Amino acid sequence: MAVQLVVGVGGDSGGDEAARFAARVASATGGSLVLVFGYEASPMGPRGGALEDEIEAVGTEITGAVKAELATAYPDLAVEVELVRDRPVESLISVAQARGADAIVVGHGGQGPMRGALLGSITYEIVHRSPIPVVVVPEPDDAEA
Amino acid sequence: MSVIENDRPAMADKGLKGGSLGLVAVIVIGVASTAPGYSLAASVGFVTGEVGAKAPFIMLFAFVPMACIAASFYYLNKADPDCGTNFTWGVRAFGPKAGWIAGWGCIVADLVIMPNLAGISGQYLVLLFDEGAADNIWLTTFIGILFIIAMTWICWKGIELSARSQVLLLGTELIVLAVFAVIALSKSFGDGITRTVDDVTYSSVKPSLSWLSPSGVSSSAIIAGLVVAVFIYWGWDTCVSVNEEAKDSATTPGRAAVLSTLILLAIYLIVTYGAVSLLGPDFVTAKADEALYELGKVALPDWMVKLLVISILTSAAASCQTTILPATRTMLSMGSHGAAPPKLAQIDRKRLTPDFSTWLFGIGSIVWYLLLVVISNNTDTDAYSASIAAVGMAIAVYYGLSGISCIVYYRRFLLKSAKNFVLIGVLPGFGGSVLIYVFCKTVWDARTEDYGYGLLFGVGTVLVIGTLLLVVGVPLMLWCSFTYPKFFTYRPDPADLVKDPNSADTLAAPLGTYTATDRRGKGA
Repeated sequence: MAVQLVVGVGGDSGGDEAARFAARVASATGGSLVLVFGYEASPMGPRGGALEDEIEAVGTEITGAVKAELATAYPDLAVEVELVRDRPVESLISVAQARGADAIVVGHGGQGPMRGALLGSITYEIVHRSPIPVVVVPEPDDAEA
Repeated sequence: MSVIENDRPAMADKGLKGGSLGLVAVIVIGVASTAPGYSLAASVGFVTGEVGAKAPFIMLFAFVPMACIAASFYYLNKADPDCGTNFTWGVRAFGPKAGWIAGWGCIVADLVIMPNLAGISGQYLVLLFDEGAADNIWLTTFIGILFIIAMTWICWKGIELSARSQVLLLGTELIVLAVFAVIALSKSFGDGITRTVDDVTYSSVKPSLSWLSPSGVSSSAIIAGLVVAVFIYWGWDTCVSVNEEAKDSATTPGRAAVLSTLILLAIYLIVTYGAVSLLGPDFVTAKADEALYELGKVALPDWMVKLLVISILTSAAASCQTTILPATRTMLSMGSHGAAPPKLAQIDRKRLTPDFSTWLFGIGSIVWYLLLVVISNNTDTDAYSASIAAVGMAIAVYYGLSGISCIVYYRRFLLKSAKNFVLIGVLPGFGGSVLIYVFCKTVWDARTEDYGYGLLFGVGTVLVIGTLLLVVGVPLMLWCSFTYPKFFTYRPDPADLVKDPNSADTLAAPLGTYTATDRRGKGA
């Protein structure tokens, strides 16, 4: 069965490891991958324009690097990139829903439970809000942190 | 003049919001950004010092120009929702030089606030543990600097409290302030109390409705009060821009703006009434630096005083975000649009925040803070307190400019409808003129020693501090105009190409679309 996965990449959502895992699964099933970079600036200051342009440039760079890495490891895997100007959680869910993805894959981010509850964690929020299955991939150094 | 028109690249669809910013969240962001606890702690003493018992009038009146300016933010944001706000709008309305100075004004206003923010935070943090030590200026300065570092770090890390934590913190803050006001008012409406502090006896004054009228106050005092009080509504405009985000609901934006305004006005009004009446205006003036705390000790049980202090501290942190974020984003915008070193637009890859600008601003704030404290301690000039009085000047000039920019930018649409005339003409014009007038009048009043806070270089300290940094912007701009000449070839958006702010498509062409062969013959 071809599995289509949506992966959260960049910024706080971590995600290099998540992308590698997702690529392994998608490639093994002959499926495809969408790398999503979602970002929204703090609502407490002015936003828009230059800020989002600069961040989008960073997003293009980050997702480009991940895509290049995956292209070397899995030359046959179809990898797309979507940059969304919205909160990461909303971005992931809306892209996944629009494309009818089988699951969302995110990195663990390595936040403790207290920090996550106080500050809000993308991983925590998406696990609880996503209408479709979510896979949480731990990062290699999570065990030590 | 050659005009090149480009189509703005279509923006990616923002996707589903999923009701992420509900009514409560929008109100919380708006009110928390304004930081009522901290704003009151920082300003109530100084406003009362200027106008005595009429402080409630000033608190109420200061809202008017700020609300009017919010209309110009709302409309200018429709043409160019750029984090550079005044900088980009200034370029579009008046051209690159004025825009550059408007951006600089915004950065300067934020910079001038920082010592105030840090000082109050340092002081209240010390009060929490050892009351006697709060007068030790070096200790509070040291803690204040640590506070600036911590806040800069928070902004750099992009740490945001989750909506739930914000509701909790803001809720506590509002409840503590309300309880304080209610207890204070019930005491002063009742038998009243008397306290002797530092050999002066203060007693309660019956609150009076006349405190809401300007009668009997000199216009200079009103202006001086206003210049402090405009600062308490700073951050409120955030609520207006957040409202745009909560588009999915037809009613949320309007309701949230109205409700957050009412909450703010109500809390400022009753707390000011309570503060002024509890031991009279003289006490508040005498203890201007920590008026809310001193009054809290009289009115509230011990544990609640601690809660009050904590509320003020947490609200200072929120205020910090509404200070550092606009400054650094203006810097980013200037760097990004080629008006200043591109390094300013550098984004941290992991945290997605403008790291260079953030740290530059943090370090700049510390230097400025230290400078003020050192001057205050080594001369007769109270530069530190003067900086609090000067804050409003900085805000007045850059908010005032955005009001004027709005009218100039949309001049072709002013007379198209009555709604336009009021919302993009009368309101921004009124708010802008009031603030510019406040600025000019303060410049005039503050030139001599009579204004208080002493002299610096033979001129009133408030005037020096309020305008020095602004003036420094001129050589900096000239330097930029030689180093980055391309930006300085930009021209204001031609009036006939400005889009109707009430239509579906309001976005202006990207900054830099309109350039001209300038006088030196270098074209775009």
